[in-house]
Amino acid sequence: MAREKIYQEEIFPSPFMQLWLIFRRTPVAMLGFTCFLFLIFFAIFAPLLAPYSPVEGHLDMILLPPAWHPDGNVSFLLGTDELGRDMLSRLMYGTSLTFGLSFIVVIISLVIGVIIGSLSALTKGFKSSFLNHFLDVVLSIPSLLLAIIIVAILGPGISNTVWAIVIVLIPQFIHITRYAVKEEFRKDYVLASRLDGASNFRILHYSVLPNIVERIMSQATLAQSTAILEIATLGFLGLGAQIPLPEWGAILANGLERFYIAPWTVYLPGLAILFAVVTTNLVGEGMRHALKLRKES
Amino acid sequence: MLIFTLRRISLFIFTMLILAMVSFSLSFLFPGKSVINLSGQINATPSQLITLNQNYQTDKSIISQFGSYLSHIASGDLGQSMASQSPIANEIAKLLPATIELSLVALFIAMSIGIPLGFIAAINHNKASDNAILSFAMVGYSIPVFWLGLLAILFFSIGLGWLPSAGQISLLFEIEYVTGIQFIDILLSDSPYKWQAFNDASAHIILPACVVSLAPATIFIRLSRASMIEVLATGYIRAARAKGLSSRQIIFRHAIRNALIKIVRHIGLQFANLVTIAMVTEVIFSWPGIGRWLIESIYQRDYTAIQSGLLVLSCFIFIVHILTDFIYAALNPLARGNKHGS
Repeated sequence: MAREKIYQEEIFPSPFMQLWLIFRRTPVAMLGFTCFLFLIFFAIFAPLLAPYSPVEGHLDMILLPPAWHPDGNVSFLLGTDELGRDMLSRLMYGTSLTFGLSFIVVIISLVIGVIIGSLSALTKGFKSSFLNHFLDVVLSIPSLLLAIIIVAILGPGISNTVWAIVIVLIPQFIHITRYAVKEEFRKDYVLASRLDGASNFRILHYSVLPNIVERIMSQATLAQSTAILEIATLGFLGLGAQIPLPEWGAILANGLERFYIAPWTVYLPGLAILFAVVTTNLVGEGMRHALKLRKES
Repeated sequence: MLIFTLRRISLFIFTMLILAMVSFSLSFLFPGKSVINLSGQINATPSQLITLNQNYQTDKSIISQFGSYLSHIASGDLGQSMASQSPIANEIAKLLPATIELSLVALFIAMSIGIPLGFIAAINHNKASDNAILSFAMVGYSIPVFWLGLLAILFFSIGLGWLPSAGQISLLFEIEYVTGIQFIDILLSDSPYKWQAFNDASAHIILPACVVSLAPATIFIRLSRASMIEVLATGYIRAARAKGLSSRQIIFRHAIRNALIKIVRHIGLQFANLVTIAMVTEVIFSWPGIGRWLIESIYQRDYTAIQSGLLVLSCFIFIVHILTDFIYAALNPLARGNKHGS
């Protein structure tokens, strides 16, 4: 009789690997994931790939339409703006500002939020209730409003925008970690390791965190789509990235005055923002879908 | 219901205190002296400064300073704007109704489009129409609102010329300020051109309200789809089906009511989201609301205005939050406590 399994040993993939195996089966989510990697690649290597500098103007090539237009020039693929700066290079450099910074923002606030959240899940009584109410209040204020206020305190600028959005995103991570850790702590396997004499921190590190990491990741994708939109919105309002920086929202605001004669200076950065947010949301959606399937199986 | 009300009221007071504390601490975080940030009197003479210091009790402990700040707010004194030197409370009273009007119209549009679409998606779960609605929701949720606003202006105002692109009403009409909400003021006024003014105001509100409503509408699609799917999987729907009711009867008599209750709960949170979107949209459509005023105060470094604007706006959002909580509890006995069924 043929044996289906040659090895006696059975492999149990870790929760994270299980998630990846299910995630891989949805084509749309994989497409989103590929685009996501592509954006990260651009964000890192934009200075090597971009044909021109984002701030250098070509004064003989002002307001050139994209190359597919009859008046276009193929050496400026996506056209130029009012100072003759190449749109393609500006958008490429913008990837590292809008998308890359949002990625960094999410990682910083994730680390801080998870630490505070898991510590607060271990507290009880008045402190815990106070934190709960406080989080409710902070979460009920819209994040963009809060970001605008923090920028108002710190003053406009790209680095202040980054800090503002980090601060705004932290409560969401605290909330979700706290909730997830509390839920896990009620389960039997935690009780088992507690009976073995493990301390709270040991349980948190070895038992709980590996089991909630994917929920935090799915929150992170949501947070990133918020972060991209917020960096761009603040840039658009003139509170974020300042003038020569090729941040997508700021490019869009810059093209606003010549909207009617040079519509591509407004269409293209908008499309870039839309693409980045849709990509992030597709990855997040795929992850949540995979989480649901894994729970059902 | 009494215990529920008391709990909500205590939460409300607690939140207001925290918000006031945040707003008060802002006066120390902003550059400049805290008294001047609180009162907004940048050109105060030395004698005026002494009275101000007395009023805000700056020589005493921080707690009594906070107390005097609270008493100032309670008497309706939010200081004066550093830029225009006019009382902020008056400015806000003029601007906030315009924002409320825009947000309410947008909320109405978002709900009347989003909820039915979500129900349709849930009834055709995992079919082509479900997927189409979900992808629409995904794109709508991801579009940056300022870009959408610009495209809408380019297409509908400049390209087709159907709708005006800026402002609340054409300057030809003179509407007396009564409640601040334009439509009510127009109906109250006794001008002979009342209906022309009404039409003009509605033409002005359509474009910004549609732009504001897109993102909340997509969230309503997701919410109503999820709650409908949940309701359709329950036992009483299966019982109704076993009784031989047609699917139309099941949906209209049983499912929709129960699914709607779950959505009411989220309206408060969505309203907060909507107000922020409205702030950005106001800038693009030159809507004379509090969002545009707040962003302009940031440009002008008008700290008193930023501080008070934040306080008023977040109070407003929180009041809506609490109100929807009450409506939800009144509609759904389960939310009031476990003793009402299980």
